[in-house]
Amino acid sequence: MSSRSPIVASQLVRHFGSSDSPVRAVDGVDLEVREGEIFGFLGPNGAGKSTTVRMLTTLLRPTSGTATVAGFDIVREADKVRRNIGVALQDAAIDPLMTGNELLELQAVLYGIAPSSVKPRAGELLERVGLTAAADRRVGTYSGGMRRRLDLALSLIHEPTVLFLDEPTTGLDPMSRVTLWEEVRRLNKEGTTVLLTTQYLEEADQLADRIAIIDGGKIVREGAPRDLKAQVGAPTLLITVDHGLEATASRVLAEFGDMRPTAEGTLGVGLAAGARAVTDVVRRLDEEGVVVHRLELNEPSLDDVFAEATGHRLEGEK
Amino acid sequence: MNTTQFSNTHLSAMRSSRALSARGMRNMRRLPSTFIPTLAMPIFQAIAFSGTFFAITKLPGFPTDRSINWYLPLAVVMGSAFAGVGLGFTTIRDIETGFFDRLRMSPTPRSALILGSLIMTWVRTVIVVTMVVIVGFGFGARLTGGVVGILCLYVASIGLATVSAGWGLGIAYRFRDMRGAAIMQLTLFLVMFLSSAQTPLYVMTGWLHAVARVNPATNVLRLSRQGFLGDVTWNGVWGGLLALVGGSILTLTFAYTGLRGLERD
Repeated sequence: MSSRSPIVASQLVRHFGSSDSPVRAVDGVDLEVREGEIFGFLGPNGAGKSTTVRMLTTLLRPTSGTATVAGFDIVREADKVRRNIGVALQDAAIDPLMTGNELLELQAVLYGIAPSSVKPRAGELLERVGLTAAADRRVGTYSGGMRRRLDLALSLIHEPTVLFLDEPTTGLDPMSRVTLWEEVRRLNKEGTTVLLTTQYLEEADQLADRIAIIDGGKIVREGAPRDLKAQVGAPTLLITVDHGLEATASRVLAEFGDMRPTAEGTLGVGLAAGARAVTDVVRRLDEEGVVVHRLELNEPSLDDVFAEATGHRLEGEK
Repeated sequence: MNTTQFSNTHLSAMRSSRALSARGMRNMRRLPSTFIPTLAMPIFQAIAFSGTFFAITKLPGFPTDRSINWYLPLAVVMGSAFAGVGLGFTTIRDIETGFFDRLRMSPTPRSALILGSLIMTWVRTVIVVTMVVIVGFGFGARLTGGVVGILCLYVASIGLATVSAGWGLGIAYRFRDMRGAAIMQLTLFLVMFLSSAQTPLYVMTGWLHAVARVNPATNVLRLSRQGFLGDVTWNGVWGGLLALVGGSILTLTFAYTGLRGLERD
């Protein structure tokens, strides 16, 4: 691991509950996020993403293991870590009684920004996230998208070198989601290293240079999305058949490759011979008297990577 | 560097504390329902107790002939104590909404997170004391101890608000949800009513007398009543001051260790 990497974690573990029967929320995470990249942390609810972020942002002490953020130890040099990171947590924790402007000014004071710079910096950030017109409105009246944008602005008040975004688009409409993605890309281009947790495959695929898939507190895959998808290889054929014929259909599909986990009511197979095998599959199913109601061919996706690594699908769980 | 210029001087706890207390005061104005009970309750108590228990002044040796002179300081001190634990409620709300995480993630000194809230509590307490005393005078209270006497009332109130704020914060940091609110209130009621809150020590007997005699709240109440039951004496002051200083050190330490513990749990 490079000592210059902005985020490095080694065997990070976090337990909750009693010492007799602890819940291992994070179970030996090794992680390296390189300078200037967007790193996606992908996993379902309860996988350990947020707990890892809470440890890396000094909110929670690890049970064991070590980590450095911006070159500083998260336990011994927590104060230095805090000065160098920006964090937007999952729930956009914003006081609804305050205005956007007041919140930014409070944040500026808490981060020790010189009094003469507080107002200009707040104004600059409000403009950046498109909230100038709503600056003096109470945050309680903001939409979900506006709150997320304000949260992002708050995390940038001190120009951090490392930015943590914990599920930044959860609950947002598609338009707001895309707006936030654009802002994250812009920040990254300006040199900010971003660690982004998400349960949305598309988000990880669109934004991240590299991703880590976490499940049950362990990282099960890590790499660039393109490389991970290439490792899965075969495209997935999904079919829906008449009730009662699933067993026959499964037997036929198994002739063409490995069965893949799917949502209930659908069967899936990784076509070892590639897309050209589809016609053979349909012919064989027809020979066995299986009527196909729906047929879908998917190129390998991060969901396939996830399914291959964990034995269950991420998308079916949302 | 551009507009964002760091300076250790500006990372002082005082500046953050001031900003946090300003936030608290602003929110109090915007959501007055969080403050009005703290103000209304002691006013109601002072009037109701002194009216209902006016005959207490007939007890042989009772130190005043005005029941409101006895009950007004009690109401003020109770109001201040509840203003203090009210800080615990506010903090629980901040923890539950996640806003407190935002404060904890900032590099501002941890002590500033406590001090900022404390300053707001002191301001609230001064408002409560002033308002209740004004209403009390309207209902017949008379100051016997002069300016020093009224100063004793303010010191007792602010001191007790500090003690109860430390207690409230410590509980809030440990429980982190509204379960803590019941503990804060119950302990406060117990400590206050197992003291000379309602009647002088000399009319109590048995276990209640034994408990009230050693209860530090008795000394604080004695301090608060200095201006209303004759002249101010050092004998009536020092015990209360000692109880407040000791209590503040204990409960603020309890709060600080609770705040540090948030990271470990």
